[in-house]
Amino acid sequence: MHFLAYILRQTGKNLRQTWGTQVMTLLTVTLSVLLFAFFFLIYTNMLRASARLGDDLRLIVYLDQEIPEQKRPEIEKKIRDFGPVEKVVFVSRTEAFSRLSAQLDKEKDVLNDLGPDFLPPSIEVYPLKNLHDLTKISQFSDFLLTLPHAAKVQSGSDWLRRFGDFTSLLQVVVLLSGVLLIISMTFIISYTLRLTVVSRQGELEILRLLGATSAYIRLPLLLEGMLQGFLGSSLGLAALYLLYQWIASRFSGPGFLNLFDFAFFPPELTAAILLAGVVLCTGGSLFSIRRFIRI
Amino acid sequence: MPRDASTDKPLVELVSVTKIYPPDIVALEDVSLRIYKGEIFFLTGMSGAGKTTLIKLICRLETPTRGLIEVAGRDLSQISPAGIQRMRQKIGIAYQDFRLLEKQTVLQNIAMAMEVTYASTKAIRARVDELLALLNLSDKRDKLTGELSRGEQQRVALARAAANGPSLLLADEPTGNLDPAATELVINLFRHLNEKNGSTIVVATHDKSIYAETEHRVMDLRNGHLSAHPNRTPRQIELFEA
Repeated sequence: MHFLAYILRQTGKNLRQTWGTQVMTLLTVTLSVLLFAFFFLIYTNMLRASARLGDDLRLIVYLDQEIPEQKRPEIEKKIRDFGPVEKVVFVSRTEAFSRLSAQLDKEKDVLNDLGPDFLPPSIEVYPLKNLHDLTKISQFSDFLLTLPHAAKVQSGSDWLRRFGDFTSLLQVVVLLSGVLLIISMTFIISYTLRLTVVSRQGELEILRLLGATSAYIRLPLLLEGMLQGFLGSSLGLAALYLLYQWIASRFSGPGFLNLFDFAFFPPELTAAILLAGVVLCTGGSLFSIRRFIRI
Repeated sequence: MPRDASTDKPLVELVSVTKIYPPDIVALEDVSLRIYKGEIFFLTGMSGAGKTTLIKLICRLETPTRGLIEVAGRDLSQISPAGIQRMRQKIGIAYQDFRLLEKQTVLQNIAMAMEVTYASTKAIRARVDELLALLNLSDKRDKLTGELSRGEQQRVALARAAANGPSLLLADEPTGNLDPAATELVINLFRHLNEKNGSTIVVATHDKSIYAETEHRVMDLRNGHLSAHPNRTPRQIELFEA
């Protein structure tokens, strides 16, 4: 009990003696975590959106004339022979019109003058959900264009490609901010600890002469780093949550956020980021302790 | 507390110890010495004679160039760093230059010695008050040590060395800045520690007033060599020969 009390008291003493530097360190750790977590949050949401878009992927073959009912199984077989497909749906002009009409709901009156057969018939091909490879989608698309009466194939692969490129770019940003986080946290904590050690040099020397054990001298410094990591990560994540709430409240309703079902980190991931912050700062402390304290 | 050399094992033993500082300054040469448990031992000599070096060797702030040093039967060269730290908790050392933290109070400076042993706050308070009363410093308890006179600082350093009731107290020139009255207080503290705790006291000094009339052993260091003090009383001769 006394041991713990001494360690905590010593940690408090260290924090008080270099409070200015400690505040700056806390801010740096907070900002580093905020920056990393911000990009990481966007990235995880993009990944989820990307997975969902992949799940919703379908290839639409627009036809210049309807396929007769008796020929449909033959065409479906051709499609299934080319690649793994979940389902193939033949959409007639009338069905297409009914769907559009249902989508327009109260504004379906705009279709009154157009007639029920102004839309082209089509075949909707739903590939299996594991088909996320853009090259394969493109090949599938090229094949579908060779089907009888096929006029145009809409696969959404261009959009998917651009989305994929953006996600890859974001991945690089997340990696870079992660590296920045690691460097800044370990460096700044190590530097702060060094200042603590320098400011208490005389005292540490006397403690050594009085027989202070390694634990008595080192544990408070280690705890200081841990505390900085915990507080900095907590504040960074709390700031991100507030930012997320603000964005969610400002941009709620139909729009970008709804499209992507923008969500905050799940509790496990939040805890993992917090833990990573604590581990990094403790690592920085350890580095300084090993380097600057000789007992 | 009188000691019995025939039955006691030495608490401190130096065997043919030589200490040479680079490049070739010989501080101690072939020194052999036994200090027994419960003994008050005076080590005299002029400045630069090697007294401080000997004290530092005993608490392993320095390592000998040659020779063996044992404390409580343990060869210091074989003790791990953690073991040395634990040993230092049982050895009180009053440094010639005090080694006090001037921006901390008298209480905080003395308490440090007990805090490293994780003593309770209550025990620390009681012990500090007791020591300050013995050294007539009770009214200085909450003063910063930097605001004290040299003599008062010296007594604070001694109080810190005595805080844990050490089994061995090493005092390097403990009365160098003290007037006769304060010197008497320090001698009384040594007696108190020796009689109440059975502490072994090693005093390195060139202040004749504290060892002239003593019945304890006095040895003289001169140019790194240890010998019996030349102006010994009959009792001191008896002790030395024992």
